[in-house]
Amino acid sequence: MTTPAGSAESKLPQTAPSSFDDHHPPERELLDDCVHCGFCLPTCPTYQLWGEEMDSPRGRIYLMDLASKGEITLEGSFQEHMDACLGCMACVTACPSGVQYDKLLESVRPQIERNVERDRSDQLFRDAIFALFPYKRRLRAAALPGALYQKLRTVPAIRKLAEKLPGRLAAMESLLPPVSVREAFARLPVFTPAVGSRRGRVALLSGCVQDVFFHRVNEATVRVLAAEGYDVLVPRDQQCCGALELHAGREAPALERAKREIGVFETLDVDSIVTNVAGCGSSMKEYGHLFADDPAWADRAAAFSARVRDVHEVLADGEPRAERHPVRGRVAYHDACHLGHAQKVRAQPRAVLRSIPDLELVDLPETELCCGSAGIYNMIAPEAAGELGARKAANVRSVNPDVIVTANPGCLLQIGKHLGADIPLLHPVQLLDASIRGVAVPRT
Amino acid sequence: MALDPAVRSAFEQVLEPRDVISDPVGCRAYECDGLTGYRVTPELVLLPRDAAQVAAAVAVCAEHRVPFVARGAGTGLSGGALPVAEGVVISLARLKRVLEVDPVNRRAVVEPGVTNLEITAAASPHGLYYAPDPSSQQVCTIGGNVAENSGGAHCLKYGFTTNHVYSAEVVLPDGSVVTLGTDTGEQAGPDLRGVFLGSEGTLGITTKITVKLLRTPETVRTLLADFPSVRAAGDVVSDIVSAGIVPAAVEMMDTLAIEAAEEAVHAGYTVGVPAALVVELDGPVEECDSQFEQVKAICEKHGCTRLHIAGSPEERAAIWRGRKAAFAAVGRISPDYFVQDGVVPRTRLAEVLDRIAELGRDAGIRVANVFHAGDGNLHPLVLYSAALGETERAEKLSGEIAELCVEFGGSLSGEHGIGTDKACSMPKMFTEDDLAVMQRVRDAFDGHNICNPGKVLPTPRLCGERPGKYEPHPLEESGVIERL
Amino acid sequence: MSELASSPDSAVSTPTKMRPGDLDELRAAILDTSGPVGISGAGTAADWAGPLGAVETVLDTTALTGVITHNPGDMTVSVRAGTPLRALVEELSSHGQHVSLDAARIADGATVGGLLATGDAGPSALVYGTLRDLVIGTTLVLADGTIAHNGGHVIKNVAGFDLAKLMHGSYGTLAVVAEVVLRLHPVPKATATLALDCPLDEAPDHAARVLGGPFEPVALEWVDGTLLVRIEGTEAALDARAARVAEALDTDERHFRRTGSDDGAARQGWGAHDAAVRGAPGSAVLRIGALPSRLPALIGSLPGVTAVTAGLGTGVATVSLDPAGVAEAHALVHAAGGTSVVRSRPAGSDVPAWGPPPSAVAVLRSVKNVFDPQGRFGPGRFDPWM
Repeated sequence: MTTPAGSAESKLPQTAPSSFDDHHPPERELLDDCVHCGFCLPTCPTYQLWGEEMDSPRGRIYLMDLASKGEITLEGSFQEHMDACLGCMACVTACPSGVQYDKLLESVRPQIERNVERDRSDQLFRDAIFALFPYKRRLRAAALPGALYQKLRTVPAIRKLAEKLPGRLAAMESLLPPVSVREAFARLPVFTPAVGSRRGRVALLSGCVQDVFFHRVNEATVRVLAAEGYDVLVPRDQQCCGALELHAGREAPALERAKREIGVFETLDVDSIVTNVAGCGSSMKEYGHLFADDPAWADRAAAFSARVRDVHEVLADGEPRAERHPVRGRVAYHDACHLGHAQKVRAQPRAVLRSIPDLELVDLPETELCCGSAGIYNMIAPEAAGELGARKAANVRSVNPDVIVTANPGCLLQIGKHLGADIPLLHPVQLLDASIRGVAVPRT
Repeated sequence: MALDPAVRSAFEQVLEPRDVISDPVGCRAYECDGLTGYRVTPELVLLPRDAAQVAAAVAVCAEHRVPFVARGAGTGLSGGALPVAEGVVISLARLKRVLEVDPVNRRAVVEPGVTNLEITAAASPHGLYYAPDPSSQQVCTIGGNVAENSGGAHCLKYGFTTNHVYSAEVVLPDGSVVTLGTDTGEQAGPDLRGVFLGSEGTLGITTKITVKLLRTPETVRTLLADFPSVRAAGDVVSDIVSAGIVPAAVEMMDTLAIEAAEEAVHAGYTVGVPAALVVELDGPVEECDSQFEQVKAICEKHGCTRLHIAGSPEERAAIWRGRKAAFAAVGRISPDYFVQDGVVPRTRLAEVLDRIAELGRDAGIRVANVFHAGDGNLHPLVLYSAALGETERAEKLSGEIAELCVEFGGSLSGEHGIGTDKACSMPKMFTEDDLAVMQRVRDAFDGHNICNPGKVLPTPRLCGERPGKYEPHPLEESGVIERL
Repeated sequence: MSELASSPDSAVSTPTKMRPGDLDELRAAILDTSGPVGISGAGTAADWAGPLGAVETVLDTTALTGVITHNPGDMTVSVRAGTPLRALVEELSSHGQHVSLDAARIADGATVGGLLATGDAGPSALVYGTLRDLVIGTTLVLADGTIAHNGGHVIKNVAGFDLAKLMHGSYGTLAVVAEVVLRLHPVPKATATLALDCPLDEAPDHAARVLGGPFEPVALEWVDGTLLVRIEGTEAALDARAARVAEALDTDERHFRRTGSDDGAARQGWGAHDAAVRGAPGSAVLRIGALPSRLPALIGSLPGVTAVTAGLGTGVATVSLDPAGVAEAHALVHAAGGTSVVRSRPAGSDVPAWGPPPSAVAVLRSVKNVFDPQGRFGPGRFDPWM
C-alpha cells in the first residue's frame, strides 16, 4: 500500500478479544498516550542492564497494547517482562508525553496475579514474602535470630517455603537487617505535643518494616515534627498500608489494608497524614484512584489521599523553626524512586537538608536510576537487583560522601548491602534531628 | 516461510544462545521504531555484546543471505529500523562503551550504542562537547546518528553528524570489517565515510565511531521572543542572516506548538501568541555580546511583543526544554498526529507556511508548526483524531505538505531520514537516473541486498507502480546493477 | 562545443581535447567517446595523485562556467563546476558572502569541480571543514552518460545517498562533476592573524593553549618556523579577542603581527603557507594527515624535508621533500596511522603517489566498478590501488 510520507496509521488494529479480563484492564487512552519515542529508555533500570526492548517501558507498553488487542496472551513472555519491571517509575519522569506508566502497571499486575498461574516455587516464595512483610508482629519475631525457622513456621506459607525451598527462605532472611530486640519492640508515643506555638497537627504512619527495623527513624521523625511546631499523633491500631502488595499486583489484600488504614486515620482531626516512607506515601496517595469506581469508598479514599504528605513536604512548607546546629560534611542525597519519580518530591528533601548549617549537599550521578530495592524486587530478582545495587554503590562512592541519606527503608537496606559499613546510611530526618538536638550524627 | 533452523543455530554459535531472541513475543517488541505506522515482526533479534560478535553475526547473514536490520534505540521517525520479514534485527544496544576521550586531539571513540548525550557527558570534564544535538539526544544512539546523519537545533552553525565524524569502523554486508575515514579531514581517495554517513543503515553497521569534540563555547546567550505573526518572526530570521550573523540556533514555534509545549513542561512560553522565536548565540564573550545587541535590535524592529533573555543556565535550559519537548507534547493537544520533516529554502519560509495553513484550512485539519527556522527545516505536525475518522484527510494533507516542500526547491527530509516512510516519495525529488545511481552505490556495498533492504530507495513492492516510464538501464541489462 | 586539439592520426599519443559548454554537451561528449578519458579543469593540480595514464580524450571542464542560481538570503549558490572559485568568490562578495575555503591554489584559478575532485582545503578547514563539508549537492555525468543529481539546494537535507562526498578526493575517476551547490558563509567583518616564531617541537604547546582556550581560531598553522593563528569576527570584538590570544601565547608582543581587516592584507601573513603548499623547487610535495598529537614528530622523522606547513589543530600538513624519500615517507605516515598522497613531483621523477592501501580498498574498487565498470575515467590516478 502506498501511504503519503509521514502518515502511516500508527495504532495497532484490534484482531481478537483482549487478553485482559474486564476488571480494570489497562485503559485504552493511557496506552494510546505512548508515541513510542523512547525517551524512557535511558532511565529504565532493566533496559540499562539488558538492553532489550521488551524490558523497557516502551516495550512493556507495546506488549500491554498487543495483549489488549488480543495478539498475545498474558502467560509466559508477557508475564516475565512485567515481573522484571522494578516499578521505579523513572520512565514517568522521563516521558514528555505524560504517559502514566504507573497506572498501566498498576492495572496489569493484578491481571497477571488473577489470570496467570505462577510457577510453583515462585508462588511459594511470593506467598511467604506476603505472609511476613506486612505483619509487624511477625517481622518483630523474624528480627530474632533463627525465628523464621522456629516461631514463624506456624505461618503456613512460611512453613511450606521452609519445607520445599529452604534455600530461598535463607536468602530472604539474609536480607533482613540486624536490629536490637529493644528497638524491634519499641513503640512510639500516641501523642507528642508541638514544641512552642502549634503550627499544625499531623498523624504519622509508623509503617511495618519501618517501625520494626528503623524505629529510630520514626522516633527522629516524631521529634523533628514536634520541634518544628506540629502535634504528632501515632494511632496505635494502624497496620500495613498495603504498598508492597499493591506494587506486586496483589490487589485484593492491598485494598483491604487500604480500607483499614482509611478507617483508622479518617476520623482524626489532623491537617495531614504524614509518612517518612517513600513507598507507603506513593501508595496512600493512590488510594483515591484505586477506589475511584467503588461508590462506597471513592469519596473516603479521595479525602484520605488528599491529606497524605511525605514528611519532607511538611518540613519544607514553612520557614524552619527549631534552631539548627552545624553538621559538617558531604551529604549525598539518593532520590528514592517512590518519592522522586512517583510523588515528584525532589526539591523538598534537599531544601530540608540545606537548612542545616555547614552541610554540603551533593547529588549522585545517574540519580534517576533505581538502586534495585524496589519493594520485593531484590528478593524475587536478586541478580538484577544486585547489579543495580552495585552500580548505585559505585555512584555513591564516586562523590566521596561522608553520609548518604535516603527516605525509604528498602533503599537503605539495598544500598547498605552493596556499600558496606564505612559510609553511614541514614534517613534525612535523622540528620535534621541530630542538627536540631545538637548531637553527633548517628552511624545507623 | 520461517528461518532455517540451521541459521538460528549458526547465530547461536557466534553469539551466546541467550543473546539470540526467538521468542515471538520478544520479537514483536522490535517490530517498529519511533514511527509506529509500519510494523514487521523479525524472525530473530540478535543482541551482540561486542564488535566481533556483530561481524560474526553479519557473516552468518551473508552466508545464508538472511536480510538484517541494525537498530540502536529505535527512535527514528522514518521507519529506518523497520525489520524485514524473514530477516533478523541486530540490536546495538549493548555496545555502549565510551572507549576513549582524547582531549589533546579533541575527539572521542565510542561504540554505536552510546547515546548522543553520553558523549558530551564523557567529554565535559575536559571542557569539550559533541556538537550535533538532535532533540532526542538523551536517548538516540550515535550509531543511529551516523546512519541518519542526524542534525539538531545547533546544526545551523555547527553542521550535522557528517561534519563531526572522523572515522567509523564498519561491518560491511559481507561480514568484513573496514575503517571508513581517517584521523583527519584528509582522506586517501573518495570519501567513503561521507557516503556511508546518512545511508540509513543500508551500507553496513558501524561498530566503533571516532567523533570530533568541540570546546564548550565561552558564552551562550539565548533569547525567547514573541511576535505578532509568523511572517514577522520569519523576517527577523532573514535580517539576522543578512547582518552576517550565524546564530548557534534559530527555532520557531507557532501558537499550537507553544500551547502544547507549555502544557507539557511549563517552560515560560507565552500561550496565545502567533509565533515565538528562540535565538541562541555562542562563542567568545566579546563576539557574543556585540552580536546579541544586534539580534535584540532586529527583534524589536519587527514588533516583538515580548523579549525574554535567559538570565541563568536554568532559564536557558527551560527555554530549550520547551522547544525540545514540543514534538512529543503535541500528543497532549491532539489524540493523533503525523510529523513532517520537509525543508524549504529559508527565504520561502513565510510563503510555505501560508500555503500549509491554507491546505490545513481546506482539509479542516489543524497543523502545528515547530521548526528550525535558521535552515528552513519544517516540522509541521498534522493533528487529527482517528476516532473522529480524520485519518484519511490527515494522511493526504501530510503527504501534500511533504511534496509542497519539494515543489519549493527543498527536500523531503531534513533530519528524520527517508527510511520506509518516504521512500515512495523519492521520485518526487529525484529522477529515475538519480535513484538508479544511488542504487549502484548500494550494490557496491551490498551485492546481495541483505542490508536493511527496502529503505531509502523506492521499490515496486513497497510503492506499487513507480511514476514515470520504466526503461531498463544499460547497467541493468549488463547485470552490473539490479533493480528491486 | 569546441574541439581544441583533435588529430585522428595520433589518437593515442595526443588525446582529443573536448571542451563542452553545457551539461548536454558534456553528456554528448562522453557518449561520443569510448576509450579512456582524462578530466581536467584549470590544470592547477594536474600532477596530483597518480600520473594520468594513456587517455584518448581529455574532457576540459573550463567552459562549464557561471552561477546557475544564487539567492543571497538562502546562503547557497549553484555553480557550474568549471567556474574558478576565485571568480565565484568575487561575484559573491557584493553580497557579503563567500565560500569558506582557503586552499592556496584558489589564487591560481582552480575550479570548483577541480577543488572538489582533489579534496583540497586550506588552513580554515579547522572550523569550516573541507569542500566536502560545504558541498550540498552535485550534478554528475557518469561514464555511460547517465546524469545524476544528488543533494539539493538546501543546507539541511538527508534525502538519498550523499554522492557528492564520493566525488571529494576522487581525482576524476568516478564521474564528471558538472554542477555543484555550495553553502555560503558571511564574509567576516574583520580578521586578525597573530604570529609567533618557534620551532616545530615547541609549537604544539602553544597551539594547545590556543585550541584549549575560548578563542575559536579559524586557522592555526605552523609554517616553517612560525606559528600563525587567525581569528575572525566583528570589528567591535576583534581587538580584545586578539589581545587575549596574544596573552594565551604568553610571549613578547613584538612577535605578533596584526594584519588589516581587509581580506587581502589578512592573507599576507599566510603567504608563507601558500608557498609551502606549492612546494620547494626540485622537491616532491606530499600531503599528509595524521592525528594532530602525532604530526610534529612524524614530520620530524620524514627524510629530506625542505618545507613544511602543518595544521596543528587539523592534523593536515604539506611537506616538500627529496623525491627519493617519498616511498619511505609513505611508509612512515602509514605506520603513524595517517594518510599521504603525492601532490606534485619534479618532472620525470617516478615517485609512488600513494602509500599502503586503506582497509576499505575493496569498497573503493566496488564503487569504481559500479560507476565506471569499463575503467574509462582517470586511469592511473589510484595506481596501484585500483
